[in-house]
Amino acid sequence: MAEHKVLIMGIDDDDPLDYERAEMADLDVEFVKANPESEGEAIELVRDADALMMRSTPYSGEQVLRAAEKAQVLAVYSHGFNQIDTDVCNEMGIIITNGAGMCMEEVSNQAVTMILCLNRQLIQFNERTKAGKWGRGDVLIEPIDQQVLGLVGLGNIGRQVARKMFNGWRMKVIAYDPYCPPWIAQEYAVEQVFSLHELFERSDYVSVQVPLNKETHHMIRKEHLDCMKPTAYFVNVCRGAVVREVDLIQALREGKMQGAGLDVFEQEPVDPDNPLLKMDNVIVAPHSAGASTRSAWLSRQRASQQVAAVLRGNWPSAGQNPEVASSLQRRDRMQSLEPKLEASREVLPMAVLPEGR
Amino acid sequence: MADDGIRILYLGPQGGDTHDASQTEQQSRAARQYGAEFVQYSGSSKGELIEALKDADCAINQGHDFEPSMFVHMGNNGRCKGLVSFGHGYDGMDLESASVNGVVLSNTASFGTEEVSNQTMMHFLVCARKFVLHDKLVKNGAWTREHLPPMGHILGETFGIVGLGNIGRAVARKARAFGLNVIAYDPYRSSWDAKEYGVEIVPTLKEVAERSDYVSPHVFLDEGTYHMFSDDFFKAMKPTAYFINCSRGPVVDEPALIRALQNSEIAGAGLDVFEQEPVDPENPLLKMDNVAVTNHYASYSEVAWERANTQLGEEAIRIADGYWPMSLINPDVKHHSPGRKNPISWEVMMANR
Repeated sequence: MAEHKVLIMGIDDDDPLDYERAEMADLDVEFVKANPESEGEAIELVRDADALMMRSTPYSGEQVLRAAEKAQVLAVYSHGFNQIDTDVCNEMGIIITNGAGMCMEEVSNQAVTMILCLNRQLIQFNERTKAGKWGRGDVLIEPIDQQVLGLVGLGNIGRQVARKMFNGWRMKVIAYDPYCPPWIAQEYAVEQVFSLHELFERSDYVSVQVPLNKETHHMIRKEHLDCMKPTAYFVNVCRGAVVREVDLIQALREGKMQGAGLDVFEQEPVDPDNPLLKMDNVIVAPHSAGASTRSAWLSRQRASQQVAAVLRGNWPSAGQNPEVASSLQRRDRMQSLEPKLEASREVLPMAVLPEGR
Repeated sequence: MADDGIRILYLGPQGGDTHDASQTEQQSRAARQYGAEFVQYSGSSKGELIEALKDADCAINQGHDFEPSMFVHMGNNGRCKGLVSFGHGYDGMDLESASVNGVVLSNTASFGTEEVSNQTMMHFLVCARKFVLHDKLVKNGAWTREHLPPMGHILGETFGIVGLGNIGRAVARKARAFGLNVIAYDPYRSSWDAKEYGVEIVPTLKEVAERSDYVSPHVFLDEGTYHMFSDDFFKAMKPTAYFINCSRGPVVDEPALIRALQNSEIAGAGLDVFEQEPVDPENPLLKMDNVAVTNHYASYSEVAWERANTQLGEEAIRIADGYWPMSLINPDVKHHSPGRKNPISWEVMMANR
């Protein structure tokens, strides 16, 4: 029997686990792939696992976590880990890791794309032009280098949006993030503001990039949207539920803002009858902000490195619940390691990767 | 907050030359804004200090002697939960002892990021342009170009950073403005993080030595970085390359650096720090025309020091009021002091108090 059992949930039965195996090659690990079809089944699976890796599975609730008595780490492949109960993990001594950094370029590019499309009215003009209508009508396009970008959340992704819009488009960037040290804001030439209302009042574009948790659920509501300039736009590339969607719909209907760019919705897949899909001033995408040929493998490499670090007795670099420390023994800091799988340094389609590793 | 009776204890310099002890307007600013009490320590014995710590929620240390044995009277064993120290380096601090006693330690992270990185770029340019030598030649009436070669182009050359923290990143940003390729060794930083700063992460210190035309460490001093630059490193450097140090003197094995310069294994150096400070006037480094020296003032500007002084007070209030500090320097304390709140912006603390 192997020293460590790593349970991977939400993965194809024939997946070769190239990245998982490569990053844990020096460890005595048994991988178990599973797609449980009930919570009861999931509970049985996690009981003797030393590490849990979760791609997409509906069974990550409290009862499942409480059954994971041996687990040292729970790695999600995504950025968001809102489906995981942090309090339970802290109590159980399970370190939660995410894919921090695995798609910050991609998500920030999606935010920038939305901002530019809204500024240039690209989607609307595209439709008009293809429909044989020539001319700009009475649409006014504001000079973006004289406008203010307001960021809610200045973490990995928010900083990339700031860097791109300040360095690239010379926008004035302000941010609301009470947990961001002032020196990081300064490094990115961002003016920190300390009330969400002020951010909504001053911005020509508001872009949200925060994790979804108890504190951020519906953090943006009518009272904030009503503060917006009527010419301003709202962009959301993080999680739908950080905004109270009925309030957003109302604000758009009442002309409290000029339009919105949405990659995410409170309910996904989005209801085809959702009024947001019928509005000409709203542009949308199917929660695709994180996607690229790179993030597809980088998320797997990241998650695998995090699990490997914990199994080696180190702190992972992307631990998300520092409070768990008080219920754990001392660990060493994880040193960043060169990826174990050479091919992964290049952007290669999964099919090109060596099999059976 | 006055009802809660938060008390901050300020330990000022003991006859040092670094700060005017009579002025604590900046250090006490946060306490006054927050409605906390700010008390200046005036004792002189260990016993008096132990007593003073019993009546404070957090202490600020600005150039005062502070023995690790004090930690047993703090944290989980006393009222005083933490110690905030002026400056960047915490090489004098016993982190282990603080952590096991549940004492939260903080520094004034990043207060001098701009200043130190500017000092580094100044030393880099002074080296690259052979400024010290030519200043001396011209002032002595020698108008000559014979000592110019070899002199690099800067654009397209390689700048090697060791330690890609706040200061290392600022240096990287500025170096890239000169068209330098920037590489860095920092085993705690992932390659994709470094990419954000346009920096190539290399896996070994030796690779920094071999590839760089300029090397600059931006690490803190601890047992892991003590003498990390020694004979091996300097011998691996290009003979045309320069070594710059604006971090801490003892990260360099100074006799090894002197040997490398005397044997022309490297082209020169720019130094703000020395193994022994104040530096011995007989130190051979002071006699070399290809070595530029300054007296450990890289972090100084009035703006930076005001920021540090203000930050001292804010961090102390965070610790006193149950938050983690923004710059926690002994993260292992989290095993011994659970239940604190995440650090939050000063402005938001003020709004919520």
